[in-house]
Amino acid sequence: MMTVTVLGISGSPHRHGNTEILLDRFLEGAQAAGASVEKVVLKDLEYTPCQGCNACHKDGNCIVKDAAPPLFDRMMAADCVAVASPIYSMGITAQLKGFIDRGQYLWARRFVTKTLTFSPEHLARHKGIFISTAGQNWDHVFDGAYPSLTALFHDAGFEYYDNIVANNMDTWKGIKNHPTALDEAFRKGQQVVSVLETLKKD
Amino acid sequence: MPGSAGIIHIFFTAGDNNSVMTIKVLAFAGSPRRHGNSETLLDWVLASMAEDPDVAIEKVPLTEANINICRGCNACEKLNKCIQRDGMDIYHDKIVEADIILLSSPIFCMGIAALPKALIDRMQVFRSRKYVLNLPIVPPERKGKRLGVFLATAGQDWPHVFDAAVPSVKCFYHVIDIKDADISYLMINHVDEKGAIVNHPTAKADATVLGKNLLAELKRRLAAEV
Repeated sequence: MMTVTVLGISGSPHRHGNTEILLDRFLEGAQAAGASVEKVVLKDLEYTPCQGCNACHKDGNCIVKDAAPPLFDRMMAADCVAVASPIYSMGITAQLKGFIDRGQYLWARRFVTKTLTFSPEHLARHKGIFISTAGQNWDHVFDGAYPSLTALFHDAGFEYYDNIVANNMDTWKGIKNHPTALDEAFRKGQQVVSVLETLKKD
Repeated sequence: MPGSAGIIHIFFTAGDNNSVMTIKVLAFAGSPRRHGNSETLLDWVLASMAEDPDVAIEKVPLTEANINICRGCNACEKLNKCIQRDGMDIYHDKIVEADIILLSSPIFCMGIAALPKALIDRMQVFRSRKYVLNLPIVPPERKGKRLGVFLATAGQDWPHVFDAAVPSVKCFYHVIDIKDADISYLMINHVDEKGAIVNHPTAKADATVLGKNLLAELKRRLAAEV
């Protein structure tokens, strides 16, 4: 009953690359701590970008019937969601941005139809984590990504709990050569599950 | 036919050899919603430019451009070419040939919309050419004689609503040899419902002035070359 559920969403078009490996390590840590873990690869799903039609501003529902709304349902049923994307051109991938933009109907439910609210307790018990890698060595290379992740987590009822990011992949020649990132991801996977277990007992 | 308008124009004005130049303007309308606020803003800039007879304008709605997402395969680092065959085959060449390149996008979820992000990510072939293969993007005589423009609208009224989009826009222009100082921005917040921008107090006038200024600046730079 108390099992913590963790959903990983991989937003890289490149299978088993640096970002997905980092996500996998996080999920392994979560699983080692007793969580029930699932991973979804956006590349394998069929969904269109948001059409900007604003139909959801009327009734809070998306008129586009494809793989995006069911994935939001799955995400919102999880205790923890880890959303992963490499940095392309100083931002998240078009693939992940395409999915995040489809969450507009959740925003509409919160702020237009006002049919969706999250209590502080709900937010505390639902943790969102962003996982990313970048080729560039700049410290600010992830900055353009955070605001869209903030929007996603808040609209889906998650506290934006942490980032697991590693830059300078071009120099490290891949995440497997990075001195700390994979261990950090595993440890943070364990930790968030332990925190959520405690919260679920309360 | 890319460039055909320019060739015809030069033919008919060949006697006037100092002032002859056709300015090629390439405009990407990035919104998934046709004729919404960001595209209207773009149209105002283009209409202002179109009053000049020396300008050939091509507008490309990304909804019709058939541009797939970047696969992240890095093949372009070796091939100097993308392995995908789609609309980018056409727009790659047009991007190289254009003198002024405009991109418009709404802000969705605090960032640039997914369609223009897909275009930006596909510019990876230019990044590979420039920074990995160390090959030129444009001939040396055209360097510094290209201008970029980013037009955006946002429903939110926060002044920082455009901040996360700008770094990706800079990448878009940097890799095609348009540097920071040559990028202009016109970003209008607090316009959400379709057509809301028409009631904005300054957007249309600013867009019109921007179009004129861009042409004047480009002509100044082109005239300075000889």
